[in-house]
Amino acid sequence: MFVLSFLARRLAQGAVIVFLVSLLIFTLLRVVPGDPVRLMAGGMAPEALIEQIATRMGLRDPIPVQFGRYLGHVVQGDLGQSFVRPANGAATGGANFNDATRGERAEVIRLILDALPMTLQLAALALAFALVFSGLLGIAAGLRPGGIADRVAFAVSSVFISLPNFWLGIVLALLLSVKLGWLPAIGYGGFSYTVLPALVLAVELSPVLIRTLSGAVAAQMSESYVAVGHVRGLSRPRIVAAHALRNASVPLLNLLGVQFSSLLGGVIIVEYIFDYPGLGLLTINAVLQRDFPLIQGIAIVTSAIFVLINILVDLAATTIDPRLAY
Amino acid sequence: MDPVLSVRDLSVALTLPGRQRTLLDGIGFDVAPREIVGVVGASGAGKTVLSRAVVNWIEPPLAIRSGSVSFRGRNLLALPPREMRRLRRDIAYVGANPMGALDPTLPVGRQIVEKLRAVMPEVSPKEAQARVVALLDAVRIPSAASRFHDYPSHFSGGMMQRALIVDAMVSNPALLVADNVTQPLDVTVAAQVIRLMRELTERFDTAILFVSSSLPVAREAASRTLVIDAGKLVEEQATEALIAAPRHAYTRALVAQIPVIWGERPTLPAAPKPAAPVPADAIISLRDVSQTYRVKKRGSFAGTSALRAVRNVTFDIVKGDSFAVVGESGCGKSTLMRLLSRLERPSGGSVLCEGRDIAGLSGAELLGFRRKLQLVLQDPFNSLPPRTGIGAMLEAPLRTHGWRDPRKIREKVRAVMDDVGLPVSLYDDLPLGLSAGQRQRVNVARAMVLDPEILLMDETLSALDQTEQFKLLALFDKLQRAHGLTYIYISHDLAMVRKACNRIAVMYLGEVVELADNDRLFFDPGHPYTRALLSAMPSLEARRYRPEDCLMEGEPPSPIDLPIGCAFRSRCPQAFGPCLDRPPLLSVRGARDLASCHLVPGPGATLAGAA
Repeated sequence: MFVLSFLARRLAQGAVIVFLVSLLIFTLLRVVPGDPVRLMAGGMAPEALIEQIATRMGLRDPIPVQFGRYLGHVVQGDLGQSFVRPANGAATGGANFNDATRGERAEVIRLILDALPMTLQLAALALAFALVFSGLLGIAAGLRPGGIADRVAFAVSSVFISLPNFWLGIVLALLLSVKLGWLPAIGYGGFSYTVLPALVLAVELSPVLIRTLSGAVAAQMSESYVAVGHVRGLSRPRIVAAHALRNASVPLLNLLGVQFSSLLGGVIIVEYIFDYPGLGLLTINAVLQRDFPLIQGIAIVTSAIFVLINILVDLAATTIDPRLAY
Repeated sequence: MDPVLSVRDLSVALTLPGRQRTLLDGIGFDVAPREIVGVVGASGAGKTVLSRAVVNWIEPPLAIRSGSVSFRGRNLLALPPREMRRLRRDIAYVGANPMGALDPTLPVGRQIVEKLRAVMPEVSPKEAQARVVALLDAVRIPSAASRFHDYPSHFSGGMMQRALIVDAMVSNPALLVADNVTQPLDVTVAAQVIRLMRELTERFDTAILFVSSSLPVAREAASRTLVIDAGKLVEEQATEALIAAPRHAYTRALVAQIPVIWGERPTLPAAPKPAAPVPADAIISLRDVSQTYRVKKRGSFAGTSALRAVRNVTFDIVKGDSFAVVGESGCGKSTLMRLLSRLERPSGGSVLCEGRDIAGLSGAELLGFRRKLQLVLQDPFNSLPPRTGIGAMLEAPLRTHGWRDPRKIREKVRAVMDDVGLPVSLYDDLPLGLSAGQRQRVNVARAMVLDPEILLMDETLSALDQTEQFKLLALFDKLQRAHGLTYIYISHDLAMVRKACNRIAVMYLGEVVELADNDRLFFDPGHPYTRALLSAMPSLEARRYRPEDCLMEGEPPSPIDLPIGCAFRSRCPQAFGPCLDRPPLLSVRGARDLASCHLVPGPGATLAGAA
């Protein structure tokens, strides 16, 4: 029963959030300088033609009207068509306005659904790397605050957090791909292409995870139930594994929900560096090409994912610690 | 018979870099099987260190200096951890903080099973669960089988303490160390817990080391009592002999400090002029005040239920009164405090201050009311900001209330510090090094600095030991005389109330069930709940009310699901027909005392009898 009312409440809140995000993005895109029609039609197109196309596409209507029309389509699952990308692949833009070879323009939803699995694969692998690494180091540090592991964790976190991801990406690509030839770096041609960008993202994620985990484990170990547990006759491994780690995972989960947004931010840069065909690369190109429908679509999809992940995280945290149910 | 526990020459010290303090000094005693041995002493005497040493739970910065703790002839202090863990089956421990003893995120029953299987791996999970449920039932936890799956946060303090006793007893230990187990509990629940422990010694052949900061409580439980003062064992006697003829000077002082309830009182609290007509000088009046909270209903989609925390409370507090509101946890005392101080507005009825409804106050008028009524809080440790100087802390209320001249502010603060007995040299100090008693003085000074007329004391003395309580009560008395203050004490401590208050309201489940003057309440209570409270009160005197006749079982019903009829009937030893369906009204007993019980002979009752 709790789960149902929880989901109903949170999904309703989430819908509001996604709505606000899309409104914000929609409005911002239309007030920033840069006319997408000019980009689509090409620099040589006459002014009158530009106006004609723009009016036909509804780009001269008041923003609320445009937004209403857009939202009507979104609710039916139609995120619109890209301004610049043809359905047969290959980005264009800047070609002649009456180029007959230009075919049907691509559906935004298709473009996103093609790129999204790539990014999810990258994010999942990065998260797996980060969790394994920070789990080992953070738990060891938290169990003995001030000990060797704690100091190592501090040093590693300090170094990792100071490394800019674009620099690290280039250096790792030079080292692991060019010099050693262990891993492919550019583009995508199989799972091994995911490893290098995932490593870079994991390095970016780890410091906060280590810090949170070691803090949470140390806090749990100084709870009175741990000391009393020894006196009650529980063994230390039992107390650590069945109680302290379980409870320490709650703050970690909450952090992951929040870190997900920075992961998406990191993806944009890392995908661009490694030319990895995911959502990040798609976003950058969409922005550079003033591809309004695509940008809007990406914003809606990512904010919806963000909302869903946070609902899942909270649900998982409540399952571990039922006091969080409200 | 061989002793199950024998402690010899035990010394424990606190070792910090650069200094060392001896906490226990050459303690030695024996505990025979099935015996309950009491350990009493003031806070800081080393009782808790002793109880921890006995279960081999001395951790840095504490260190054993010398001596041995032998359990059945084996010195625990010399055992490797692995061997010690095996012995946990036979040596159990229950502490003073029941809410912190278990993992808050797992069901209570499951954790007790976990402990049982950790110390007795041969018990199958199914068997263990059956055993735990049976024991939860034996300590009278209602519907034990479903409570087994509840989380610690769903247990009240008293129930949790009983669950922890189950946790301790589940492996049939030979020795149970009970460190201040009744301290966080209400008197009626504490009395039940002590009775339970006595039963358990017989049923399981367990010896108990019963550590308590209160001699009357230890007397309830223990046949023999050790007195510890400043880490030294100063006296050891059979409990009754110890109380009747204490040998050591410290024990004599300890016995003399126990408040006298029914004997002659040396000092009477300042009572208001008795001739004055009541409504004219009532400074605070409650008129049919109720407070209802909406809480989310468990296991429903969006339902809420009404939690009726305070129900139809009406009374007057006369200027110069020392008025007490007593009752057990959950009876609505704290909600009443919030209503009186206008932290909340009542959902029904009105709170009047000198005839004006305080719910309607705002702006300057509200500030004026705040100046008139000040709060003194319960917890001396969390109620003071740790990084603010004491002087600055006392200046803050003055600034809030519009004082601007720094010289005048400083003068006023110094005067108040002097008034409450704080050395003025503490002005620039942080509160870190202060004792609980001194911290409470800072709290009182913070309230007094505004020259209030009413002080609302929310369990102000409950965190202090007997000696400190004594001193602060003397201070309150002095301040009342000097400034003509009115006190409202919110408390569960009847002994303190007996000493300090002239008029007392007893609350049960959000209602005032009895309202009486001090002597009448203690010598001739009109409500069975008051009698139960009096019978459960630990004391060294012969009781006027025997627990066997008055003490009730179980815990109060939930304020969400109130019983029909008299709210107290489910626990009342005298409940009869009318209690089932008719809620009793507050009936007049004598000149100005009231009680709400069908057994109170009032004009209404006589009429009904005649008809």
